Amino acid sequence: MRIRLTSIMVEDQDKALKFYTETLGFRKKKEFPVGEYKWITVVSPEGPEELELSLEPNANPAAKTFQREMFKQGIPLAAFETSNIQKEYERLQSLGVVFTSEPKRMGPVTIAVLSDTCGNLIQLYEPS
Amino acid sequence: MLLVQETFRRLCQAREMLLEIPEEQLSIADVARQLDFSLFHFIRQFEALYGDTPHQFRIRSRVDQAKLLLAKGQHSVTEVCMEVGFSSLGSFSSLFARRVGVSPSSYQRRARLLVRVPGGFPQQLFPGCLSLMGCLPPSAFRNFREATVVSVSLECGPSLQEEAKCESGSRASWWKTRTKL
Repeated sequence: MRIRLTSIMVEDQDKALKFYTETLGFRKKKEFPVGEYKWITVVSPEGPEELELSLEPNANPAAKTFQREMFKQGIPLAAFETSNIQKEYERLQSLGVVFTSEPKRMGPVTIAVLSDTCGNLIQLYEPS
Repeated sequence: MLLVQETFRRLCQAREMLLEIPEEQLSIADVARQLDFSLFHFIRQFEALYGDTPHQFRIRSRVDQAKLLLAKGQHSVTEVCMEVGFSSLGSFSSLFARRVGVSPSSYQRRARLLVRVPGGFPQQLFPGCLSLMGCLPPSAFRNFREATVVSVSLECGPSLQEEAKCESGSRASWWKTRTKL
């Protein structure tokens, strides 16, 4: 058994693809229609190439409620690792990204939290 | 932009207010005022956080609620229009058609034809998980196989692309998928 695919629910798949590629810097791996939605995955240019993140529609009312409640409580639904969180924080801020928490040391990691504009909070972390 | 916790909390509250459908609809300026924002900062910060302006968010959530009610099939289009806070059937129908691509009545007819779990919503319209949309036509799943083949072939160079074309069957559908990748 391997972990090759994980997913995050997004409000608008096209907008999410734009944010996850143009702003966060991931690369589109797959995009094709499934009914009225799309199967979209992105990978990190820093690898691993075979680990894909699927941007799934949050069309299901249960998904919307879950997403909204977690957001309200300030809980991130995904975490991405970076080797220089301060630099990433400044780069993303210059692109207009909203952070709800600036980089803070939390034990063995430094973390920051941003909004992906698609209904989720995302945690960035840098292991020390 | 770094939001302090208090501003974040108020922006979350604003979203809840915009989701509500009260008898007397609040204007965006009313919502801003009630939460102690200047209108300019409210719109700017809301959009930066959620990706939509307050107005766009309200419209989007009402269209989503309308889709849900129409798919449930227990209300007429007029009832749905009123239920989600529109007072004019004409403006509701044209807005819905612009956003969804079909009129509310066509959407409702289509939803009636779809297979659903009793008491639930049709998977095709409200998927919980794309890869579990078991009631999709086989052609939808062909896309998964083709995309896998194509993504491998593109990484391996042009000679394998030819093989991918043969494996995926129809040349026309391969190109259709190919151009979308």
